[in-house]
Amino acid sequence: MIYIIDHKDSFTHNIVHQFAKFDRNIECENFNKINYTKLNKADVILLSPGPGSPKDYPITSKIYKKYKKKKKIIGICLGFQQILFNENGEIIKQNKIYHGFQSLVKVTSKKSLFSINKVFKVGRYHSLKLKEPFFCKNFEITMRCKISNVAMAVENQIDQVYGFQFHPESFLTENGNLLIKKILSA
Amino acid sequence: MKKNYYLEKLYNSKKPFIIYKVNGGYDLYTDFSKKIILNNKNINNFFNKIEKKKNKNKFLNLYIGFFSYEILCNLNNVKIPKQKNLNFPKGIFYKPETKIKIRKNINIKSTHQNYNQLFGKQVFNLNRILTPFKVNIDINKYKKIFNQFTKRIKEGKTYQIKICTKYKNKSLINPVNLFWKLMKTNASPESFMIRDDNFSIVSCSPETLIERKGKTIKTKPIAGTLRKTQRTNKRKALFYFKNNIKETKEHNMIVDMERNDLSKICKPGTVKLSKTKYVEEYKHLYHYVTKIEGMMKKNVSIKDIIVAMMPGGSVIGCPKISTLNLLNLQEKESRNIFTGSFGFIKFNGDMRFNIIIRSILNYKNISEISVASGVVVDSTAIHEFKENYIKAKSLIDLYK
Repeated sequence: MIYIIDHKDSFTHNIVHQFAKFDRNIECENFNKINYTKLNKADVILLSPGPGSPKDYPITSKIYKKYKKKKKIIGICLGFQQILFNENGEIIKQNKIYHGFQSLVKVTSKKSLFSINKVFKVGRYHSLKLKEPFFCKNFEITMRCKISNVAMAVENQIDQVYGFQFHPESFLTENGNLLIKKILSA
Repeated sequence: MKKNYYLEKLYNSKKPFIIYKVNGGYDLYTDFSKKIILNNKNINNFFNKIEKKKNKNKFLNLYIGFFSYEILCNLNNVKIPKQKNLNFPKGIFYKPETKIKIRKNINIKSTHQNYNQLFGKQVFNLNRILTPFKVNIDINKYKKIFNQFTKRIKEGKTYQIKICTKYKNKSLINPVNLFWKLMKTNASPESFMIRDDNFSIVSCSPETLIERKGKTIKTKPIAGTLRKTQRTNKRKALFYFKNNIKETKEHNMIVDMERNDLSKICKPGTVKLSKTKYVEEYKHLYHYVTKIEGMMKKNVSIKDIIVAMMPGGSVIGCPKISTLNLLNLQEKESRNIFTGSFGFIKFNGDMRFNIIIRSILNYKNISEISVASGVVVDSTAIHEFKENYIKAKSLIDLYK
């Protein structure tokens, strides 16, 4: 079962539909109305996109820390930032803002599930970004914006934590389904 | 259009009626046997009543009317702080008994046998302006709000937000006269008018928010408008939209948001873009449009559909709920019908609704025209303020 924590975003149900392609059993609830019985049963926890920054969501941070290493955790956009924030990364404003922006992303690490140097188009909706350099044991930044070099994906294959700054569910993202399929079967 | 004796008499009577634009003409609804004024207490009952109705497919078994912005917020559990308002109803739905198809020929159908004798006293009202139009937010205030929202965007609290400004005058209007005048210059696909005893609405709304037939549900967001000149054509308009980063970003965001809203009530895997980012041509402008559709899940109620889709994302901003909260904290005056929805619900659950924009509401002898335009990081306060005025101007000009 996949448990989606919704941060009241207007893209969460696109994610629900995308993940439903790979798992019939999906639960989606607001971050402030978590059903812990269901959450405990889930194999995968997904942290949705949403407005604001990770520090605005202490409940989600608690959940992340509690279930890390116990379940596979995937974060998208705000969810990606929540993962990094809870691994002592700093989330900061960026000068150029990307909302509804299609840009090229490149796989930059050999440790990624995806083939290195692969370039593809993605849809982005974010005002904030990860402050770098960022170092954390087992965590690897695996994709970057081809132009600005901003971190676009993080992977921790040992603890099964994955995050995308861009939106795999957006109609602007090429092969979004493939990305999700690979991560779910990893 | 040919002069029609019945219509002329209807227009000059005091009878309430509604006109709604359809493909190839207009439908006029009148002889209302019921009028339901909605509030937060009775709205659930209103939805339940329709679900339980029998004779689902009988002629004219439908309610036609509108939801205000406020009641749509409330349905989404978004509260609005106390605002200046005229106590205009939060929504009204009518049950019509007569329908007149206005096409090349006029076709009248009614459940009343003597429908053509149902006229009272004949009157003809002229349009009279008592005070000139005034805007409720001046440029300095507008700049302040604009900068505040730009800050919120940079913090990621909202990705896009639309500031509403209002133009108001004191006036007595003949809504029939204004509506047909407007239809000569801008017969946009979701135009409508309502004339009732104590208010009227005249609208050339362009955007279809919900079109539901059986299991299929469609929406057609518009993001991007270009005025026609002698040098533009459809191909050039498409080139303009594709190469304009601001329009493209806004459009993309709306498409993902509408996909999301449909996904709440549709079966997984059925939500599709049936026509992506194309140009529709109208008499005076071009719109940048995407068509999205899906197949409904089982056991979705009428209320579920309304709550999932309304208020329509393209006139609010994104993400919807946090943006609504930011807007409501900021706006000191009720939006009334603006960014609400007008349309009909048949007893069998089929429905069509628009997003109410480009509209005149005349109530208590005050005409108000609300307009909004988007704050995204690439826009400037002065540009958007002017853009708002241009949007209002075509309606203000009707009073000349």
